Amino acid sequence: MDVFSNLALGFSVAVSPINLFWCFMGAFIGTAIGVLPGVGPVATMALLLPVTYFLTPEGALIMLAGIYYGAQYGGSTTAILVNVPGEASSVVTALDGYAMARQGRAGPALAIAAIGSFIAGCFATVLIVIAAPPLTRMAQQFAPADYFSLMLLGLTLAVVMASGSIVKAIGMIFLGMLLGLVGTDVNTGNTRFTFGISDLFDGVGFVIVAMGLFGIGEIIKNLGDPERRDLVSSKIEGLMPTREDLRRSAMPIARGTILGSFLGILPGGGGVLGSFSSYSLEKKLSKTPENFGKGMIEGVAGPEAANNAAAQTSFIPMLTLGIPSNAVMAMMIGGMMIHGIVPGPQIMEQKPGLFWGMIASMWIGNLMLLVLNLPLIGMWVKMLLVPYRLLAIAIFFFCAVGVYSLNNLNTELYFMAFFGLLGYAFIRLGCEPAPLLLGYLLGPLMEVYMRRAMLLSRGDPMVFLERPLSLTFLIIAAVALILVILPNIRKARQEAFQE
Amino acid sequence: MRRREFLGRAGAAVAAGALPLSGARAAAWPDKPVKLILPYAPGGATDLLARPWSEVLSKVFGQQFVLEHRGGAGGMIGTEAASKATPDGYTFLFTPNATMSVLPNLRKTPYDPMKSFDPVGRAGDLVTGFVIHPSVGPKNFKEMVEYAKANPGKLSYGSAGLGTATQMRLEMLKFKTGIDILHVPYRGSADALNDLLPGNVQMMNEINVLPHVKAGKLILLNINHSSRNPDFPDVPTLTELGVSDADVPIWYSFWAPAGTPKEITAAFNAKIVELANGDDMKGRMRAINSQVPVQTPEEMRAYLDLDSKRNADLIKAANIKLE
Repeated sequence: MDVFSNLALGFSVAVSPINLFWCFMGAFIGTAIGVLPGVGPVATMALLLPVTYFLTPEGALIMLAGIYYGAQYGGSTTAILVNVPGEASSVVTALDGYAMARQGRAGPALAIAAIGSFIAGCFATVLIVIAAPPLTRMAQQFAPADYFSLMLLGLTLAVVMASGSIVKAIGMIFLGMLLGLVGTDVNTGNTRFTFGISDLFDGVGFVIVAMGLFGIGEIIKNLGDPERRDLVSSKIEGLMPTREDLRRSAMPIARGTILGSFLGILPGGGGVLGSFSSYSLEKKLSKTPENFGKGMIEGVAGPEAANNAAAQTSFIPMLTLGIPSNAVMAMMIGGMMIHGIVPGPQIMEQKPGLFWGMIASMWIGNLMLLVLNLPLIGMWVKMLLVPYRLLAIAIFFFCAVGVYSLNNLNTELYFMAFFGLLGYAFIRLGCEPAPLLLGYLLGPLMEVYMRRAMLLSRGDPMVFLERPLSLTFLIIAAVALILVILPNIRKARQEAFQE
Repeated sequence: MRRREFLGRAGAAVAAGALPLSGARAAAWPDKPVKLILPYAPGGATDLLARPWSEVLSKVFGQQFVLEHRGGAGGMIGTEAASKATPDGYTFLFTPNATMSVLPNLRKTPYDPMKSFDPVGRAGDLVTGFVIHPSVGPKNFKEMVEYAKANPGKLSYGSAGLGTATQMRLEMLKFKTGIDILHVPYRGSADALNDLLPGNVQMMNEINVLPHVKAGKLILLNINHSSRNPDFPDVPTLTELGVSDADVPIWYSFWAPAGTPKEITAAFNAKIVELANGDDMKGRMRAINSQVPVQTPEEMRAYLDLDSKRNADLIKAANIKLE
């Protein structure tokens, strides 16, 4: 069968000693840098893109892919240990993972994240091999109207799943959307909220906002909050998850894998939507939803699996269509272009060794990460025992280096400092920054898709209701919203969060 | 340590700016790494063209030609940075004409393309053309024009954004043939391609569509260049199709900050011309659907002036506005 001959070809490329070495290097560097708080996969890949220039195309792409999933493992690690998500999709992991770490259960949280990611990674790799062609055809059916409705659904779910005040969550989402709108309007070319500063014409970078709100803001809070140190370093019992942990995680990992695999294929969706959707799904299915955010292992297992599955399946549109579904895939395309390979549908036919070799390397890389990470969890946990005043300086330093390395602009460092202060203010006011980040990411996309859909329908708003996919998303969003607004459910929800 | 390094660099910059370059020093150029500023993020078409150049130039000059990506504000930030660099022959701008002959016609730029830079050399023109989605029906350029005339406003095209050459090319076509096609701007050409492949928009003009033409997913109607693309020998140019003066070139070039010693820009230009005529560079450029025209710095300055005026007229005629 084709599947087997393709896989055989892929493995013959991926297990050649030199490619095995680059795969290991990618996974290792990715994890190491991903562990450093505030430096996520995009920044890591951007930093290391020039290095791949000196490798063969196969080696370069295998290493870049390794950096990506390596950094994601590492990003989850910092999300759990120090509540600094390396990237948007780890935001959810931080909710329960960090709570677990504070209860002295950092080890099981990290182990479950690694195991969940590995299972999801294996599944997603097999999925890519078997289902790449038909799944790509399905994702291609999406029109701008469908994207708009999907994102509306995503934001609605973000409100529903936000802990604490709904009003604050909605407020943060809208603030995030406003932030996302800073810059040049795609449709008219007008610059919005830029105050004439040309460094703002392209908007405020995701890394800047994320590092400021989650990195710097958290550091300020922690430095002014001495008792927190004792809580975290109190006692760390057992690194391995218990049988009970594994039993509770099994289904969330399975559900997260399937959900993430699907969402990863959608351009623009990827890991973020996957992990957020999985978290809200687990919360909805749980018998004790009120415990989410307080250290539920399901809240780590599901989103981590979904995140990693989505991370891998997001290679599908990139590999088969040459379309980057997120910033990381844009980096991968950059890596191909450095070697003069133009991404597109011809790659699978013209460079089967490269195509299948990279896919095979994903599985090998995931195995390496599991082998690499499980024994090293002890080392990551020890990082918690580093005095916070030293760790804080290191985080500051790497945030600054990471932000500066993106565009070599001093102003972006000032912006990051500003978001750091803003993040601190939000923490003091009891506003969750996660919905803000989601609004920031999805808001401008929603606007663009809505206006594009309207443009293509020549101004007819019925386009959102006429397309079956779009209509389905809108109905689900409406149902979710009505459920939260209904008086008795709202009361129950408030009581649940107050506990 | 960083402070000392900074002071050292500042000192070197001051010294380089203050001392007039002697002929002997210009003859030794380059005796240290040369920086090429790209006004866009890595991974785009500018990066794609700059890579082979930096590789080959580093080899023939024996000094590293380093790419520095300074993206932002549609290319304005990097171009401004290059305009303010010390004109000592160790910093150059590598840019598409977007920042030089398009953007200044649309908004106030913090640099003057004619005064802030000295021309150095042409680096490559993109050889691509209009594509149409096969679901629409037309199989060639004439059928497309007939279809658009019979169904005004029914076709739409995707561009890489307002004021980009991908928009200007179609506006020029509309202007020349009197057909009506709706413009849908995207954030970059990869994004536009995303909507073109399922047929949500039906037309586009970029190099990233060409692999899909080869795969049979899109139909290439014509080439917007003075000569055909050797990989698509059967596709005629616009001029061959009887639509004259309708090309809106997308051309890449090297520029020096104004005041760079003439000996250096002349020596650099001579080397670029020599390389552009060689088979190695021709092959590398063909692989990315580009061709390098040969020009002296003076011809290049005149060409920029011509290109800028043509774009200004088109922007006025098509009523393209940014602010």
